[in-house]
Amino acid sequence: MVNTDELRKTAKEIVEREDVKYVIGYEKGTYGCRISPSFAFSPEDADKFVFSPLCVQNLAVYPLLEEKLPLKRGEEEDMRKVGIVVKGCDSRAVAQIFQEKGLDREDVILIGVCCTGVIDLKKLATQFPEPLEGLEVTEENGNFVLTANGITKTIPKEELLLRTCIHCENPTPVVYDVLLGEEVAPSKEDYQKVKELEEKSLEEKWEYWEKKFERCIRCYACRNVCPLCYCKECMVDHLSPQWVRRSVNLSENAAWNIMRAFHLAGRCIGCGACEQACPVDIPLMEINKKLEKDMKELFDYEAATEEEKSLLTMFKPDDPGEFIL
Amino acid sequence: MEKMILKKKNLPEFVEKALKEYRVIAPTDNEGIIVFKEITNPSEMMLNYANTRIPAKSVLLQQTETLFTFSQGKTVAVTSPEVNDKTLIVGLRPCDAQSLAILDHVFGGDYSDPYVEKRENTILVGLTCLNPEITCFCTSTGGGPSCAEYTDVQLTDIGENYYVEVVTDKGKTLTERASGLFAPAAEADERKKKELEEKAQNAITRTMHTDGIAEKLEEIFESPFWRKIALKCLGCAACTYVCPTCHCFDMQDETAGTRGARIRVWDSCMYPEYTVHASGHNPRPERMNRVRNRVYHKFNYFPKNCNVIACVGCGRGIEVCPVNVDIIDVIDKAREVNL
Amino acid sequence: MTTTETSVTGAPNPYVPQLAEIDEVFDEVIGERAIKTFRFSFCDEKVQNQFTFMPGQCVMVSAMGEGECMFALSSSPTETDYLEVSVMKLGKVTSVLHDYEPGDIIGVRGPYGNGFDVKGWKGKNIITVGGGIGQPPLRSLIWYILDNRKDYGKLDVIYGARTSNDLSFKQEFFDLEKRNGVDVHLSIDVEEDGWTRFVGFVPDNLLAVAPSPENAVAITCGPPIMIHFVIQNLLKLGFTDEQIYTTLEMRMKCGIGKCGRCNIGNVYVCKDGPVFSYAQLEKMKGER
Repeated sequence: MVNTDELRKTAKEIVEREDVKYVIGYEKGTYGCRISPSFAFSPEDADKFVFSPLCVQNLAVYPLLEEKLPLKRGEEEDMRKVGIVVKGCDSRAVAQIFQEKGLDREDVILIGVCCTGVIDLKKLATQFPEPLEGLEVTEENGNFVLTANGITKTIPKEELLLRTCIHCENPTPVVYDVLLGEEVAPSKEDYQKVKELEEKSLEEKWEYWEKKFERCIRCYACRNVCPLCYCKECMVDHLSPQWVRRSVNLSENAAWNIMRAFHLAGRCIGCGACEQACPVDIPLMEINKKLEKDMKELFDYEAATEEEKSLLTMFKPDDPGEFIL
Repeated sequence: MEKMILKKKNLPEFVEKALKEYRVIAPTDNEGIIVFKEITNPSEMMLNYANTRIPAKSVLLQQTETLFTFSQGKTVAVTSPEVNDKTLIVGLRPCDAQSLAILDHVFGGDYSDPYVEKRENTILVGLTCLNPEITCFCTSTGGGPSCAEYTDVQLTDIGENYYVEVVTDKGKTLTERASGLFAPAAEADERKKKELEEKAQNAITRTMHTDGIAEKLEEIFESPFWRKIALKCLGCAACTYVCPTCHCFDMQDETAGTRGARIRVWDSCMYPEYTVHASGHNPRPERMNRVRNRVYHKFNYFPKNCNVIACVGCGRGIEVCPVNVDIIDVIDKAREVNL
Repeated sequence: MTTTETSVTGAPNPYVPQLAEIDEVFDEVIGERAIKTFRFSFCDEKVQNQFTFMPGQCVMVSAMGEGECMFALSSSPTETDYLEVSVMKLGKVTSVLHDYEPGDIIGVRGPYGNGFDVKGWKGKNIITVGGGIGQPPLRSLIWYILDNRKDYGKLDVIYGARTSNDLSFKQEFFDLEKRNGVDVHLSIDVEEDGWTRFVGFVPDNLLAVAPSPENAVAITCGPPIMIHFVIQNLLKLGFTDEQIYTTLEMRMKCGIGKCGRCNIGNVYVCKDGPVFSYAQLEKMKGER
């Protein structure tokens, strides 16, 4: 577990630096089990920082969401750095963005936190339906120990973890300026759910996904919460030509979800933020993981590497091509 | 107000009778997500739920709706659809019913939107809330878990039976047609109902202080407070689509060859494209502008125009926001802001 | 000219347009930021005969299959045989409209908005200050006044554009220069061969004309930056907040105050505007 005092001390040191605008971390949310992203502009702000298995959000989304305000006459752009608290997966998102030149390494200061997995709030609501006011979470022997309102429950981690955490291959941040907590041994992703789906017949797959895509309300929470979705104009907002209609129906919803997954092929770092954010519980990671598996098998490629170029921005003569020939 | 009981085991028969005359819409379970859908069988109804993920506005202001169809070529013809037949919405919560009363202000008036006729043809059978969620705060917005002001008939689950309040004449026509299924309520029934209602009322732990909020907001429009609040907002539309009182929509033409339709779809003021002009100018260029606009629309602009805040305290927005932008927190903090 | 058969049927709802046929298309400005005036009349004669509006009001014009835009009517309501809108080619729908020719069918619904207070302004001196594509609603007002001449006092028309090629209704205003009962003051931003009138920005032309605020109302429409300086200069000339009017524009979809997007504070520009007095504008909280 990450020591809270150490986290706050580190954040304060960084926020006090002259070349830093602010530091983004997590703070206690407004009710129950919620955690909120926290923007620290001063050491006092940084005193609110926390880190626990409830810190679900991928904060790497914020540097590219930052809006550039119009400059007043004579004013110069504020080029100072932004500090971000990043878990293993979050750091991979930042690494992928570096590779794509979305951000420069000098733009950010990364406070890496070694992560032992975050809790899926939807699973928590089922396992602990009582009011979660004042929730405290600790880990013990492969269990989460949760205390709220005088009630304590010990639940095996696997029953509460965000799906993508169960076989996390990068619990220790891959890029950081400071590392907090003890390094965590990685797991191996077994793609079990993807394989299950791959076995299904075409009809079964359609039936499976129809029920899900029917629910989609095209709120684009999945897109906005994803650190790798940072196109200035998203394909769904393009009007001439209009790639995806605004009509909300099975056809357009399927197009949206599948197209987004393809735009993330080789770029998605598997944090699961999209799945957690979806208000209608579409199992988005099943599609993203399928493409992740394909990238490994077809191109022996993973997101967030040190390569100079992203895989899908180049080609090699020996790229697999059964789909053409 | 007429007070009766309906045995729980008679509810399916009541719905069967209704299905003969009305299009019946009820909460249904899509893999754990409860949404309003048209049912053809009482077994499709799911009444054991806290609240639907998508509010009842989705029935009267569908997410995608055809305003008219057109065909071009030698003849240019425009055809607008007939409005739906009589509809019955069964099992909506008091907050959703209250939201329809708020949306009435928007869609009525000088130009009568298709919503208006649909609303007139719709009967609301509400279901009292016995287990409010941690995010609920309807008691702060002029409603409550057992509020029956905005429905035509209100059901309260008192164990083996439903306690039935017939609120309006519209509701009376509905219950009269199935009068055999109802029996007069006894005092014990009424006591049980009151007991459960009180328990539900007390279970609501969160409050939003709404008195004088429109006036307070009037003072602090220029405050840097809004920039702070908007920092974490991602600009998705999750809050607006699950909100029962949000009503913004877009209109677009969709064509296939020479035929087409002008459709309207839910839109969100949180998207930057919402207000961008053809010239490229955007009156609300930053997230700060859009977040502030949304809060003001619900707690200042709408009250100025219609004398009621456009929030029913259902808590859906608080629940679905991925980054915990919490309207109760925003309003409470706004009250403390001094310019 | 072939006349297409048209029909509008089904349950009435406020979003259904009437169909109109384009009678004539006038090129006002050619080239970059082209402006065309479309003269059209409703296919259903009854609709044409019953359609009335006040200057300053707008209509939603549809290019069926592309979309709709809100345009201020640039013809005067005193003209009953047809309607005119002047359209600048800028985005998706306007680009398609610019390809339309006489005989083509468009959808039209309206009139929407509050229009100019022509009743309240009776007996007053009117000064219109227009720039570029802001002139169309003012043209409607100008012709309305000319067709009801004895109801109004002095009429000053101040209108300018970047170059003489960017002046809309150019010949019309050249002709009006010679007419009694109206004083026309045209301008272009930069000197041009053969241009003997004022050279400079519209706000400066306004100062040169220096109309008296006595019993007067000034209405200005044009690019936001021009409006800013025009209002400044009107105040300098002694006009009060209540004597100055302008029109605002916003992205619009429903045009009837329901879709939510054109609001400035609690005011909807489509329904409560587009005409606002400067006094109103100053009180309006909200982004524009």
